[in-house]
Formats: sequence, structure tokens, C-alpha cells
Amino acid sequence: MTPAGAGFSWSAIARGLPYLLEGAGLTIVISAVAMVVAAVLGLGLAALSQAPGRLARRLVGAYVEVFRNTPLLIQIFIVYFGLPQLGLKLSPFLSGLSALVFYAAAYNTEIFRAGLEAVPRGQLEAARSLGLSALATLRWITVPQALRISFPALGNNLVSLVKNSSLVSTIGMVELMFVANDISFNNFRSFEIYGATAMIYVLLVLGLTRLLRVAERRLLRAT
Amino acid sequence: MSWQIVVESAPYLLRGALSTVGIAAAVMVLGTAGGIILGLLNFTPWPWLRVAVTAAVEVVRAVPLLLLIFFIFFGLPALGVKIPTFPAAILAMALWMTVNTAEVVRGGIQSIARGQFEAGRSAGLSEVQLMRYVIFPQAVRRMIPPFVGLCTILVKDTSLAAIIGVFELTRAAQETIERTFKSFEIYVTAAAIYFVVCFPLTRLGQRAEARLHRT
Repeated sequence: MTPAGAGFSWSAIARGLPYLLEGAGLTIVISAVAMVVAAVLGLGLAALSQAPGRLARRLVGAYVEVFRNTPLLIQIFIVYFGLPQLGLKLSPFLSGLSALVFYAAAYNTEIFRAGLEAVPRGQLEAARSLGLSALATLRWITVPQALRISFPALGNNLVSLVKNSSLVSTIGMVELMFVANDISFNNFRSFEIYGATAMIYVLLVLGLTRLLRVAERRLLRAT
Repeated sequence: MSWQIVVESAPYLLRGALSTVGIAAAVMVLGTAGGIILGLLNFTPWPWLRVAVTAAVEVVRAVPLLLLIFFIFFGLPALGVKIPTFPAAILAMALWMTVNTAEVVRGGIQSIARGQFEAGRSAGLSEVQLMRYVIFPQAVRRMIPPFVGLCTILVKDTSLAAIIGVFELTRAAQETIERTFKSFEIYVTAAAIYFVVCFPLTRLGQRAEARLHRT
């Protein structure tokens, strides 16, 4: 082990890099899985809030507001430290993942709801006059258009999710931030390790942003 | 479940909440000032400065706030720069708020129609006068909804300061739980307090957004 403090150490970064990249891979997997589940959940809840009657709309609205207006960190702590008290004990992995899912899904619900409502009314009337059922209209007319409208906002939410996934390190779920803490608490090269970790996040986030921009352009061209 | 604990620990949690609001307010002031300056630098006549500012904002915005906090609190001491928990957290959050506000300012100004710039210039205004009297006042109205959204996120994210031991609402909750072991009740109460602060902010942002689209 090298003593701390004596100048910048590239070798500390070189030694830590393989572990950090492994952590980055986990961050990608966790974010992707959480986003897919959160997108399905969000779309379902948004569709539910379009149902006739006020009850569904109110319940979905309450879920969205509660999860968007409280800190993710507290939500993670409630799942990991709070729920066992009620008899529901989850591993750090499941706790972190489910907290990320419910947090991201709250934003996705709002995004999809806005997307569904942005579909021109004439589309619904046209579908009705063609004799499509309410469900068929949702499946073939409203949802495909709403997805296209929602895409940019969903992309932004995914970028936030990648950054927010760093919070699950606090309950011991292994991802990039956890690996960074683990290495720097052991070799005391925190400046180098956190610096390298920051660069990895920058590459991840900027790469993802570019990718989303290309996808968005394709999507626009396809319509 | 024992909600008796909640009643007993409420004063301590509220002290934490007061600290949360104080931290958020301080960061808001610092970050707004920094963000406006940084955002305006995007419209200076020097290309190298514009490129440098855009790159710096994009890079810092891509780093999670938790990592910014750890970098300043654990990383800088390795270089001999020791910063205590409280200023370290404030510094990291102010940096976060600065770059995000800069992005809001840039977006707001860029959304103003080109004709406004041209009209101002042909009326003989200098670039500074153009920004001061024509562009910025119009752009501010468009900046308000995203800025309020940013403030809501900031209030929630002050919770991250607890991880390095800064006393605020989340830390107060953790300390209470260390004494009482009632994590569910205490964290839910803390969440409720955050909600009381954040929900009106969210509504304010939505109302500003609606007003913007009406006119």
C-alpha cells in the first residue's frame, strides 16, 4: 500500500481502473433494468389515470407527487432500513433496485400522462368513428403516438437515473460509486480514484446523451 | 409501529428541517449568482471562452452530486486541502446548482427569437445593453419554471449532505433512529417533512409553466 499525500499517482488509477470499469458495467445494467421496469410501470399507471372516474386518476396522482417530492435517499432508506421493521426484509440489491424503479416510474408516469394528453383529440375521434374499442384505440392509436412524444423526456429521465443510481451505494449495493468508495477507503488515493470515477460518469452520461439524440432523430425521421 | 416516537422526536426533526431549508437557501443564492454569470458567458464574443464554459458545464453536470460531495470532502484532503463537512457540502451543492442554473440561463436566452437580437442591434444598442434591456428580461420568464424545478431537486438533494455527517433533516432522522431504532416511522416522518417543503415548490413551478404557455 502506498502512503497517501505524496503527489498525484497515475498507478493508483491504473490499478483501480479494472474494478471501476466493472462497477461502471453494473451501473449500466442496474440503470437499464430499472428504466425498463419503470417505463412499463409508468406507462401502465399513466394509462390507468386516463380511465373513467376520478379514483384511479387521484391515486396515480398521489403516487407521482409523493415519490417526486421526497428525496430518493430517504426512499432508499425506507425500503432498506424501514420495511424490515414491518417484516419485509430485502437484500441491498433488491432494496436499491426497487427504490430506483419506483422513483423513476413516478417521473415516467408523469411523462407518459403528458404524452397521452398531447395526442390530438381528432385522433381519438377518428379511431372511435372507425369503430375501434377503447382498448384498441389506446393500443394502436394513442400509445404509439404518446411514446414518440415522450421519448426526449424519457431519455432525460434515464440520464438522471444513471446519476441517481450512485445513491444505492449508501446501502451497500455494488455499482460504480460503491466500488470507488471501496477502493479509495483502502488505498487512501481518494483524489485520483474519485477523479477517475467522475470521468467514467462523464463518459457514460455524455455517451448516453449522444446516443439518445441520434435515436430521437431517427424516431422523428421515421414518422 | 409506535407513532408516539414521532411526536417525541418531532422537535429534533424540525430542527433538522430548519437546517435543510437554511442550507438549500444558501446554496440557491450562491448557485443562482454563479449560474447567471456562467450562463451569460455563453454569449460573450470570445469563442474560446464559450467553448470552455460549455465544456465545463457539460462535464460537471454529468457527475452525480454524491460524487461531487465525496470528491471535495474526501478527495481534496489527499492533496492537502482539508475542508470541514459543512463547507464541503455547501461547496459541492453550490457547484452543482451553478452548472445546472447556467444550463437553464443558456436555454432561456437561446429560446428568444433571433429577430429580438437583430432588432436590438439595429436600434443601435451595444451587446451589453441588448442583453440587459431586451433579451434577459424576456428570457427570465422562460427560465422560471425550470429554475423552480431545479430548486425542488436541490431541497431533496440536500439529504446527501447527511452522508458526510452534515446536520440537516436526514442526519437528524438518522441520529433519532440510532437512539430509538424506529427507522420506518422516523424516515416516513422525514419524508413527510420534505414533502411539505417540496410539494408547494413543484406546484409553483407548474403554475409558472402554465402561465408561460397562456401568454
